[in-house]
Amino acid sequence: MLGDVRDTLKEVIQAVAPIALIVLIILIFLTGSLLTDLVNYSLGVLMLTAGITLFLIGVNNGLLPMGEAIGSDLPKHGSIYLVIFVAFLFGFLATVAEPDVRVLTNMVEMVSNGGIPRDPMIISIAVGVGIFVALAMLRIVVGVPITWLFTGGYLIVILLAIMTPADYLQIAYDAGGVTTGPLTVPFILALGIGLSSVLAGRSALTDGFGLIGLASIGPIIGIMLFGIFV
Amino acid sequence: MMAELVIFNGIAAVIQDAIVALIPLSLFFILFQVTYLKLPLGHVINLFKGILFTLIGMILFLQGVHIAFIPAGNAIGSFFSMNGKAWILIPFGFFLGMLATYAEPAVRILSDQVEHSSSGFIKGTLILYTLSIGVGGAVALGMARIVIGFSFLPLIIVGYIIAIILLWLSDRDFVAIAFDSGGVATGPMAVTFLMALAVGVAAGIEGRDPVIDGFGLIALIALAPILSILILGIYFRIKKVKSS
Repeated sequence: MLGDVRDTLKEVIQAVAPIALIVLIILIFLTGSLLTDLVNYSLGVLMLTAGITLFLIGVNNGLLPMGEAIGSDLPKHGSIYLVIFVAFLFGFLATVAEPDVRVLTNMVEMVSNGGIPRDPMIISIAVGVGIFVALAMLRIVVGVPITWLFTGGYLIVILLAIMTPADYLQIAYDAGGVTTGPLTVPFILALGIGLSSVLAGRSALTDGFGLIGLASIGPIIGIMLFGIFV
Repeated sequence: MMAELVIFNGIAAVIQDAIVALIPLSLFFILFQVTYLKLPLGHVINLFKGILFTLIGMILFLQGVHIAFIPAGNAIGSFFSMNGKAWILIPFGFFLGMLATYAEPAVRILSDQVEHSSSGFIKGTLILYTLSIGVGGAVALGMARIVIGFSFLPLIIVGYIIAIILLWLSDRDFVAIAFDSGGVATGPMAVTFLMALAVGVAAGIEGRDPVIDGFGLIALIALAPILSILILGIYFRIKKVKSS
């Protein structure tokens, strides 16, 4: 456990430090920030670093084993409908809990002065991820090649883009990027790996993976439909 | 930024937010535990200790973003754009994108994975450099879009069409890895700092709409590793044909 903490902290510092330092240098020498601003910034970076570290340790020791336990238990019940339904719930619930999704949607709500409200956005993204994780599971069971699903998904995204209001377009594509955050990825992968290792004759490499890529198409479509119909 | 310490501003809302975010997943697990799993109680308690860590971590992360990266990104973005030096953000964006990718541990893991899938044909370092340059290019393009003011729709549509074409030409093992890799560059750093930077720039340049021009950067960043890995997949396929 302690070794875990050290390794995770090292990785987080490695990822955060370079940009955090460059930003600090710019704040000091270029933008002429006040000392209190610099103190706030530095404390914020420390909080963020500690936060990501604790978060990842928590995911590895809590949500991830939970996901694996459920993923490997599911096929025992022999019902494909249960698998698909649980896959939907996995995608939906992980997205609701995903911090990157919260950062994006908070930012959108702030920049649009509340014109694009946060909670309906989170729900649209989560439903989109849920549906595509369910589709990805169905794909593993039915055996549709991944290239077909990606091509179909991307074509839908291109077609819908033409109909989407200008305000929602960029946000929709960004939503596809934030769903691949530090919670959703391991959690959904746990389900996929659990399932595809049990389903005989399917290679974990080409079937278990591709799941995250498919999951990130869902929110794009979700936000586009939200923009078109609201 | 305000001239006072603000590290606990709005923390009550953040705490409430994080709790609401984690409750549904926890209830789902409890339901599964009671009906099917029936894991030993000690194990379940340990899992919930993990959830508690996740909760505290999420609160600190969201609050840290809120007081550090969002104001800093906004301040730097509006500083450059208001001083008429907005073009600097294009090379600066390239540099930041490249650096963030190079430093990201998830990218190293992906590089090893690709090297492994190509049975060593494609070296991990080549993948690391391709990804870093790809993401740097995406951030530069995203910044150029805001600074120069061209529209997002053609850019992303062309990007996706290229992805579809490459997908059919690339090695099959690389396809799944490529699309899963979209997430490696859109970690918490990119999402928080670069997004705030973009919004700050869009707010500072006359005639830009922060909602329309401030967003879209994450989407471009997510596309970069996909295209990079697909291209490496084509390269691998050609190499494989030549050697056999």
